[in-house]
Amino acid sequence: MKKIFAAALAAVSVVGLAGCAPADSDGDFVVYVGRSETLIQPLIDQYVAESGIEVQVRYAGSAELAAQILEEGDNSPADVFFAQDAGALGAVSKAGFLRELDAELLNLIAPEYRAADGTWMGASGRVRVFNYNTDQVSEAELPSSVLDLAGPEWRGRIGIAPTNSSFQAFVTALAKVEGEDVAAEWLSAMKENGVIYEKNSAILEAVESGQVDAGLINHYYWYAKGNEVGFENLNSEIAAFESQDVGNLRNVAGVGIVSEDPRAKDFVEFLLSETAQQYFVNETSEYPLIDGVEPMAGLTPLDQIPAPEFDLNDLEALEETLQLIRAAGLI
Amino acid sequence: MQKPPVLTVVLGVFAALLAIVPLGYLVLRLAEGIEAASAELARPRTFELLSNTVLLVVSVSLTALVVGVIQAWFVVRTNLSYPGFYAVVATVPLAIPSYVLALGYVSIFPWFSGFWASWLVLTMATAPYVFLAVSAALLRVDIAAEEVGRSLGLSRLQVFLKITWPQVRTSATAAVLLVSLYVLSEFGAIALLRFDTFTRAIYNAYRSSFDRTAAASLALVLVALTLVIVLLERRYRGDYLMQRPANPRRLKQDLGKLQTPVTLLLALFGLLGAGLPMAALLNWTMIGSSATDLGKLFAATLSSAGIALLAAIVVSIFALAVSIWVVLHKNKLGSFIEGLLWSNHALPAIVVGLALVFFGANVTPWIYQSIWLLMIAYLILFLPNGLAAMSTPLAQVPKGLTEVSQSLGQSYRKSLTKVILPIASPGLIAAAALVMLTVLKELPATLLLRPTGVETLATRLWSATEELAYAQAAPFALVLVIIAGLPALALNASVRKTYAEVNEE
Amino acid sequence: MSLLALTGITKNFGEGNVLKGISLEVQEDELVAILGSSGAGKSTLLRLIAGFEKPDQGEIVFDGNVVAGESFLPAEKRKIGIVPQDGALFPHLNVYDNIGFGIAKDPNKDSRIQQLLKLIELEGLEKRKPQELSGGQLQRVALARALAPKPKLVLLDEPFGALDAELRDRLRNDVRRIIHAEGVSAILVTHDQEEALSLADRVAVLREGRIIQVGTPTEIYNSPADIGIATFLGESVLIDGKVTEGKVATDLGKLTALNQVVEGQSGVVAIRSENFYLQPNQTGDSEVVGRVFFGHDAVVEVQTPTLKIKARSNGPFAPEVGMKVTVWVRGAVNFYPTK
Repeated sequence: MKKIFAAALAAVSVVGLAGCAPADSDGDFVVYVGRSETLIQPLIDQYVAESGIEVQVRYAGSAELAAQILEEGDNSPADVFFAQDAGALGAVSKAGFLRELDAELLNLIAPEYRAADGTWMGASGRVRVFNYNTDQVSEAELPSSVLDLAGPEWRGRIGIAPTNSSFQAFVTALAKVEGEDVAAEWLSAMKENGVIYEKNSAILEAVESGQVDAGLINHYYWYAKGNEVGFENLNSEIAAFESQDVGNLRNVAGVGIVSEDPRAKDFVEFLLSETAQQYFVNETSEYPLIDGVEPMAGLTPLDQIPAPEFDLNDLEALEETLQLIRAAGLI
Repeated sequence: MQKPPVLTVVLGVFAALLAIVPLGYLVLRLAEGIEAASAELARPRTFELLSNTVLLVVSVSLTALVVGVIQAWFVVRTNLSYPGFYAVVATVPLAIPSYVLALGYVSIFPWFSGFWASWLVLTMATAPYVFLAVSAALLRVDIAAEEVGRSLGLSRLQVFLKITWPQVRTSATAAVLLVSLYVLSEFGAIALLRFDTFTRAIYNAYRSSFDRTAAASLALVLVALTLVIVLLERRYRGDYLMQRPANPRRLKQDLGKLQTPVTLLLALFGLLGAGLPMAALLNWTMIGSSATDLGKLFAATLSSAGIALLAAIVVSIFALAVSIWVVLHKNKLGSFIEGLLWSNHALPAIVVGLALVFFGANVTPWIYQSIWLLMIAYLILFLPNGLAAMSTPLAQVPKGLTEVSQSLGQSYRKSLTKVILPIASPGLIAAAALVMLTVLKELPATLLLRPTGVETLATRLWSATEELAYAQAAPFALVLVIIAGLPALALNASVRKTYAEVNEE
Repeated sequence: MSLLALTGITKNFGEGNVLKGISLEVQEDELVAILGSSGAGKSTLLRLIAGFEKPDQGEIVFDGNVVAGESFLPAEKRKIGIVPQDGALFPHLNVYDNIGFGIAKDPNKDSRIQQLLKLIELEGLEKRKPQELSGGQLQRVALARALAPKPKLVLLDEPFGALDAELRDRLRNDVRRIIHAEGVSAILVTHDQEEALSLADRVAVLREGRIIQVGTPTEIYNSPADIGIATFLGESVLIDGKVTEGKVATDLGKLTALNQVVEGQSGVVAIRSENFYLQPNQTGDSEVVGRVFFGHDAVVEVQTPTLKIKARSNGPFAPEVGMKVTVWVRGAVNFYPTK
């Protein structure tokens, strides 16, 4: 028995010491990432290699992480919140858990892609698009507005990801631009017309395989897939809605600092460095936000997207949006 | 009787206090936001979830019963060729976590989702419980009683309905209740197959609302449903341990021309329950083998194993302490604590995970997002399993041995460590191993509570499936089945007993 | 006409075991015991009669109908009651429902059950579950259950096997009484010769798949058909002998044979151990070398000049160890010539 106990104790200490101790309490640098691990982990690895700073990353949905930071309050182990959209950042900022960023950092990007109060800033740009399977949706059928998708002809044909923060940001914009009632009506139509997936990437896979006819996603998933398998091999296309339609929402993945840890600033600086911005261009097909880095060839420049006039600061109404989505029974 | 050792009492009371944390905390939290909670419960969505959940529980229970009884009857009571092989076929789905089963199906048929998909996958995943219980009961039915029935003028069908079935019914009912508990608390497969029941809704409500009262109130509805089934189960449990007849005789009905169709039917069950999905995963693993990140796979395997080992040690220490208390020194407090701990055996893992996330963030921030909060979740979830597995080997040590040892001059404590524990140790070690294997497969609590940066096989598989990346998920699923599922099947006592009895002749 | 007639029944069962041309008749209101050691085929024979198995060859006629042979009547149509080895009561039913199981549709069900309960002396235990009954009670309920539909024949498969000796004695008498009260024929299968002899009207000895001898208990006991039966049924001492002048000459003197003998034949005589008479005699040539006292009788081991024999002697008068005796044989003996 003694031997067993000794072995047990040894095992406990090994596992206990192997980085599983409470995060942050011993000075770990913790980043909450609301984006796909597949896309972001290589960038983090690059940062770790360059800076020599160890990073603990917690991947989850942006809304989930936002809610988590609010729940954790001052106990939050997070030092940096890297979110998939501006809404999640705005919600955390509204609750007072984000620190103001340095002006020199903020000024790296255009004012429309950062918080009015300077508590968060975009790291990369993206656009909502309509993704459709070319065998199942003809060009003539393409909807001119995202609101058209509420029509009965789209019953059971649209892939959506209600738990995904990019979708949630779009709904926030819909409610701000068209009014809450229109948004609520559109969402309840989606109860019939929508097929629910967890993520943008899952919707794209489903559209590609023909499991669902079309879906609402961020543009770069389609480009990433095209880069991977060759655009000529894709079974789907992406399209924009008519000019100024809220379905063409322009948004950013952004970052905010939660703690006083000096490494946080360093990390944010890295995200806005040419290295990282070029990574977004090459690896994720997103839009760079700093001057001097050009978007991928063939991508419509961000300022030429037929997007609605919309202040990203208004996306902070995430909580109300979640209630809308839940009221529609989509979550 | 000797007083229980102080250490066992301390550990037992501590475990009991932990055991009441999840529900206690949920109730407290809801009491604070009672209005929001009742608003949440009055939503049409809640009724939709309720009817989906009940529909799934009832339909899976029924079909699992039918499939399990058919398998048991043909294996035990007919002259089926290779009954031992089909006993293995009937139990092998036990080795496959149900979310892996679901993954296998979805990876072949992308459209595979919703009610019918969940129904099929969970039926195949739970039929083995019915098979094991019913075949054990059928082996204990006295053939002579059936013959008496026939001599009194009953046809074969009447004999089955009036004599055989009543003797099997209690076991079958108990198994069906187990199946319903399983379905109620199932998270991974249902989420993967995108069917909205309480577990999935709780997870989504947790992820996408700032006011987490919603998740908490749905969790309490789930607990209430569970409680109903647990109470039913308690009524039927324990009543079905019939003795084998003194002179067991196996009367095997001749299948005659039915031999081939029956073989095909049993093979079909095997194909649906394991063959097809496992073949799909194997295929995906081969297809994607060049792209498989072996480093990730290895790291996830290692952290899975490390976490499960630690959990097995923690759970075993507590289980052993409480077992020593209740088996060797039964007293009122001990029985009360055992009952309290056991009452958690059906608590859905998603509820425990949810409650501990809240609790950890607000009450015990010093262990929040650490391995220890996860360990507490595993302790709450799997201590009942540990208790059940560890009290048996302890109870089997002959009572007089401690007294003999004491009469030879050893102190009580020495007698315990030198006589009782060594004798019971093979059973205790097997019990600890079973706990470890069970932890390896756990998904929902791990998902919510794992420390930042820690990825296990189950969570890796989960995040790959969220992106419908089957080729990526498949190797994690395969490793999980190989290192956790198959060993657990091999260690499962009732599976071994069934194999032995079926092959007796 | 007999109630049951088996003609030339042959049946393979198990590995290399076979019933070889069994013929047997059972009359109305008769209790026949089939006596044999385990593996002799007793249970298989019973299952053939009950209708659970089909014979390979031969014919069974029951109550005037062919039930096996040219046509086959399955068990549920034969109306033959059975009482299995350990009773095999339905564990989910109480005593009342067990007894009433075969007469569910009988309008007089209740009075019939009460009548049987009285017969088996278990009145008041109707509500008991089988788990709450003793071994003897189980067997009596099993018997009542078999008798309830008033079958013409009841089959008893080693019904007393699992019981202790005293209970076995009591139950044997009960069973005999109950069966006669019901006026039903019965076949009792047993390996216990005492049970067969004490209970049956006739005994059939089954060995290696054949019926060796059928007769009343007295016939079987007094005139065993061969040495095997002689040693199987009761204790016999075997002594070499040769027929001389119409008698069998042995080391214990010239003995009268019960059966026909041929002058000059050599063989063996079987002497029942209770047929020795030990006369105390100071000058006798035999000596008592062992003695086991049972109370009512005793087994005395005696060394004669050429033999060592075991004799059963009246208990209180049994000679002590060391006494000199003369050994006499009472009555006639059975002579089995060497083949």
